[in-house]
Amino acid sequence: MSANPLATVLFVDDEERILRSLKMLFRGRYNVLTTSSGSEAVAIAKRQPVHVIVSDQRMPEMLGVEVLRHVREASPQTMRLLLTGYSDLQAIVASVNEGEIFRFIEKPWDPGYLHDVVEQAAQIALQEFALPQLPSPAVIASSAVQPLPHAGAKLLVLDEDPATWRLVRELVPETLEVLHAGNVEQALQILGEHEITLVIAELRHQKDDIPGTLKILKSFNPHVLTIVVTQLRDSRSLIELINQGQIYRFLPKPISRELLRRSIAAALEHYLQLRSTPILLKRHVVEASKTDTGSLSSRLLDYWRRVRDNARTRA
Amino acid sequence: MSSVVSLFPIPPAMAVVVTAPTSATDDIRHLIKPTAALPPELSVNAVGEALSRPEYSGLMSLPIVDAGGMPVGSISRFELMVRVFMRPYGRELHGRRPIATLMNTQPLIIAADTTVDAASRFIAENIRQPISDDFIVVDEHGKYLGMGVVLDVLGAMAGRLTQQATDLELANRNLRSSQSQLIQSEKMASLGQMVAGLAHEINTPLGYVKNNVEMTRGIVADAQTLLGSYQQVVDALLAPEPPPAPIFEALVQQLEEQRAICDAETLQDLRSLLDDTVFGVAQIGDLVGNLKDFSRLDKARIEQVDLHKLIESALKIGGNLLRKKNVVIERRFGEIPEVECSPAQINQVLLNLITNAAQAIEHEHGKIVLRTQQVGKHVFLLVEDNGRGIPTDVLPCIFDPFFTTKPIGQGTGLGLSICYQIMQDHRGHIRATSVPGQGTRFLVALPQRALAEQAQASES
Repeated sequence: MSANPLATVLFVDDEERILRSLKMLFRGRYNVLTTSSGSEAVAIAKRQPVHVIVSDQRMPEMLGVEVLRHVREASPQTMRLLLTGYSDLQAIVASVNEGEIFRFIEKPWDPGYLHDVVEQAAQIALQEFALPQLPSPAVIASSAVQPLPHAGAKLLVLDEDPATWRLVRELVPETLEVLHAGNVEQALQILGEHEITLVIAELRHQKDDIPGTLKILKSFNPHVLTIVVTQLRDSRSLIELINQGQIYRFLPKPISRELLRRSIAAALEHYLQLRSTPILLKRHVVEASKTDTGSLSSRLLDYWRRVRDNARTRA
Repeated sequence: MSSVVSLFPIPPAMAVVVTAPTSATDDIRHLIKPTAALPPELSVNAVGEALSRPEYSGLMSLPIVDAGGMPVGSISRFELMVRVFMRPYGRELHGRRPIATLMNTQPLIIAADTTVDAASRFIAENIRQPISDDFIVVDEHGKYLGMGVVLDVLGAMAGRLTQQATDLELANRNLRSSQSQLIQSEKMASLGQMVAGLAHEINTPLGYVKNNVEMTRGIVADAQTLLGSYQQVVDALLAPEPPPAPIFEALVQQLEEQRAICDAETLQDLRSLLDDTVFGVAQIGDLVGNLKDFSRLDKARIEQVDLHKLIESALKIGGNLLRKKNVVIERRFGEIPEVECSPAQINQVLLNLITNAAQAIEHEHGKIVLRTQQVGKHVFLLVEDNGRGIPTDVLPCIFDPFFTTKPIGQGTGLGLSICYQIMQDHRGHIRATSVPGQGTRFLVALPQRALAEQAQASES
């Protein structure tokens, strides 16, 4: 690692004391930059390589998610983290959909944890910045209607309510295969038999732990993207889904057709990107889940074995 | 037998009262006394004897029912006495005749499913004076069921009145408790918003305080090691027999390394970290103190208070919203005496007015002007915003309970009505004027000396 130049980490917070404290915590390890202005942060990211940006959410001039969105557009390789003491749902949803953040961290943070997360992000970013040039990312807010790419992609809708499946079926071209699972058992079966590109899942389920399933799925299979479509409004479980499940989009129910269509389009495009530039997969690294997923784990391991066997027979 | 029926048809005046009962115990069924009816052809003498039978002792009149079970009349004790047995030759004149010739052909007939209320009304309107009759109870086909005693109906009515009074009392009590529950839930709703805001306010200083303390622990450990190294070097220098050069050099080398880790800059930073920490802890203490002041449970307590202090505390509690909206607060405080009030209640009024003002501002140049002034024996507070204003047709309703223009779930519409109530309790006033599009102005007038017992009475 000594051959590597120091990664640049930019902290954005309207409280100077937070900046001072963070600067001290990371001094010597990184090239630490700080600013209390969101627009200044965006300007810095345009001007020079910033490997990691850690932003507060509530700031007078610009919200943290806006800062991260602008940074994402200006410098997509920059790893984006939100560090906030105010976890309102809106901020969390925006941080997923607009900021495509790596981690959502709550204040007061644990210094050791923050250390590890920033280090992980810095390592990923250093590798990405070393690459020649990345294609620009899909933006959820873009109004341009793009044709859905990748005819070979397979979608899995995991929802007790088949209406979601029907809606997805309507939204995507015939050439895309859209499978439906009403419960985790069926989903595992399908995941074992097909190579799924994108999972669209409802979190609330009568008996199955869907968030747990998504987290494990992502940890085993980082290239499967997940769009969560749900009525559930629980900040805590959403933050966990970001950090431990790296969900790609979060859409509230009732579903907006256009939003879902755009999200699927963005996800498929992102999928293509991941295939062409596998290093990007590292961005989807998840944290170990702290919740008990004992029985789920063994079921998913079964599924994993099946996938491996299938791959063997195909080879 | 059929001739009797045709002789004594039930005239229209005997119209039977039928009302749908509201519940089983509500109708007169439970008042029915099964009574063997007399046939119309029974002789007057026989009826006279029957009246003395114990089974009829409780009745003022007896039912006369035809063979088909239909009541055709009634005969009262009083009438039989007056018209037959107490008259000279009465017994001789009427004794052998059928009772049908003497009976009251328009008896009181009431259907069994008539409510006690309706039955009592019917009796009051139709009974003969002096009261010498009871009433006949029939089924839905008009067939005889038994007798009802007028006194029983009165008794039942009296019981019902007592019950109704109790019900009313209970309803009144329920109403009051649900009202106070609503007020409580309004408080909880604003508390919820406040807590979310406060969490952010506290988490920010808590964030750096925690980080700083953790780092300080690390630096102190480094400093300890450094001091140890110094000690070793000093010990080596002071020893009667200095150690061999290589060992001494190694000690100095170790000292140099540790000095690099824990350098002057680090120690200087440590000082500023600790300064920040002290500041942050004070800030958290301040917030918690304000919160405690704010939610004092002894809300009925009357104190001499500096209104300006209450305003500052409300501004702190509502600070998150004000900052979020980028609202400038302009204080134009005058010289005001302390006022006698319940601080927690006045706090609630202040927070409500400030929050409303901030919520009314939808542009970037929000400003809330707070003015205080003494006028005679009153202290005036003016809260003026440059928000969207209140439409003219809405303005008269703003103090009405449950009136709200906020979307469902975002306000109970009780906030200002509670403010109004609190001001009433303090013998003060609250008024609003507004220019739509320009802003709203709330005027609060507090008497310098509110009657303490007055405010306390309304609390309980």
